[in-house]
Amino acid sequence: MKKLVYALLIAASASIFIAQAQAQVIVIANPGVKATEISKSDLRDVFTGSATSLKDGSRVVPILLKAGTTNEEFLQAYIGKSDSAYRASWRSLVFSGQASMPKSLDTEVAVVDFVAHNTGAIGYISKATPHAGVKVLAVR
Amino acid sequence: MRHVIGRLLAGGTLTVLLLASVLHAQEFKIGSKVVQVHGFGTQGFIHTNGNNWLTMNTSGVGSGAITDFGLNMGMQISPNLRIAGQFYDRKLGKLGNWEPLMDWAMLDYHPKSWLGFRVGKVKTVLGLFTDTQDMDFANTFALMPQSVYPIDLRDATIAHEGGDIYGKERLPHKLGAIAYTAYGGRRSDSMHSGYPYLLSSFGIQLTSLSGPVFGGDFRWKTPVRGLLVGVSRLNERITGIGMSNVGAGGVAIPMSSYNEHSKHDWTNQYYGQYTANRWHAESEYRRYVRDQMIANGTVESLVDVRGWYMSGGFRVCKWFEAGSYYSHYRNVNALNVSPNGTVSSDYAARDFDKVVAGKVTVNQYMTVKVEGHFMSGYANQPYPNGYYTTVNPNGFANNTNALVVRTGFSF
Repeated sequence: MKKLVYALLIAASASIFIAQAQAQVIVIANPGVKATEISKSDLRDVFTGSATSLKDGSRVVPILLKAGTTNEEFLQAYIGKSDSAYRASWRSLVFSGQASMPKSLDTEVAVVDFVAHNTGAIGYISKATPHAGVKVLAVR
Repeated sequence: MRHVIGRLLAGGTLTVLLLASVLHAQEFKIGSKVVQVHGFGTQGFIHTNGNNWLTMNTSGVGSGAITDFGLNMGMQISPNLRIAGQFYDRKLGKLGNWEPLMDWAMLDYHPKSWLGFRVGKVKTVLGLFTDTQDMDFANTFALMPQSVYPIDLRDATIAHEGGDIYGKERLPHKLGAIAYTAYGGRRSDSMHSGYPYLLSSFGIQLTSLSGPVFGGDFRWKTPVRGLLVGVSRLNERITGIGMSNVGAGGVAIPMSSYNEHSKHDWTNQYYGQYTANRWHAESEYRRYVRDQMIANGTVESLVDVRGWYMSGGFRVCKWFEAGSYYSHYRNVNALNVSPNGTVSSDYAARDFDKVVAGKVTVNQYMTVKVEGHFMSGYANQPYPNGYYTTVNPNGFANNTNALVVRTGFSF
């Protein structure tokens, strides 16, 4: 019985941790993107190269962060892969001719700036990063 | 001379790749357009007991003659238009021979999610991994299941010169998504591939092995999260042209012209893949029928390969993944068409391979893999599958165990 209680406590802590991580990362898009929200599966499809448009038909281009906590949290929460595995899957698409590697930027400020000025760009940053000039997509 | 140029090119490119991976120099500009540069390479080592494998002298101390690398460049011309290409070179025992190849090079126009066009030399979509089989860094295993992805016959299915129509579409009512590819064109094999090498042991030197191909792939990303199923079909009419100094019944004759051509040549492949968190599992079934009129159309050689595998992997931690597969290869016609007219052993028609593997991800650019193969059978004629008489002149052992170590980098 004790073991069951411990397991439940661990599971609850883990889910709170994941929920907090998701809350820290926000998804931003160029103001030209029509959508105001995005489903988790669509977000995963766009950021894994499986889709190049949203359900409303808006063409989108994913923008990545090169490294850092926000990058790790985003991949953990929405893609389910480590950074190495994630970039390896993109390289598979590149080497088989199916896609180009998405642009990777060094800082969250650079991501905001790029997304604000490029049609269809979609990226992720931490909630605390100033993000004037872009729209925030709610993730359902 | 050609070999020397090939080796120089190979050495130079490998050096560039290594330097580039260290320097992370991955793009430059032509006008306002960015050209991305990526590359990959692997170096392996194989030791076997029993038979020599994959045209290498793997028994004894083993062999490190398993090296390959690729250099890729691509440019997004507009949101819908992209141009890209890849150079590839390899040495696999007696195959590859450092002959530099244009792996693929194409123009990709993708105006809609559900409609795109690729024109040029395009990678062939056949099952889960035909187009990604060289990407060692992305796979759990050092060698893909040889029943479905024979590394010695890579050239036979890897690409075609022609065009693809492809697309993806979400289905309504949360039924998942579908993707399709339809293609047509021409396949042209390297003369340093498995089948020409097999023929050379019979005194036949091919100068070309090519022909028209067409086919398609349809896959469904099901509503069950992580579950993908699909089916592929490939049709071919392949003609081989060359010279031979062997006549009917194996009698030596003066060198004369040789040709062979397809009567029927097709592949069906069915597959499924499931991924969930740290787990992944795959299974594929491939039937390959090759009814070839050989020896200037005087002899019919029928190959009917039924190959399948089940594989799985688990990411233990960020840097280590463990995996295993069972690969089952059987040429159901091998007993009937043994070239010298004798009835072959059942071992000559099959290759059952049990594999355990470990993959270490050193960093996002480099991996190291170690795996053990426990094989029963040595399927080798009339179509090869890893085992060749030329490197096993004293005959075959029924069973072979292999240790495979392979390290790879990509950037």
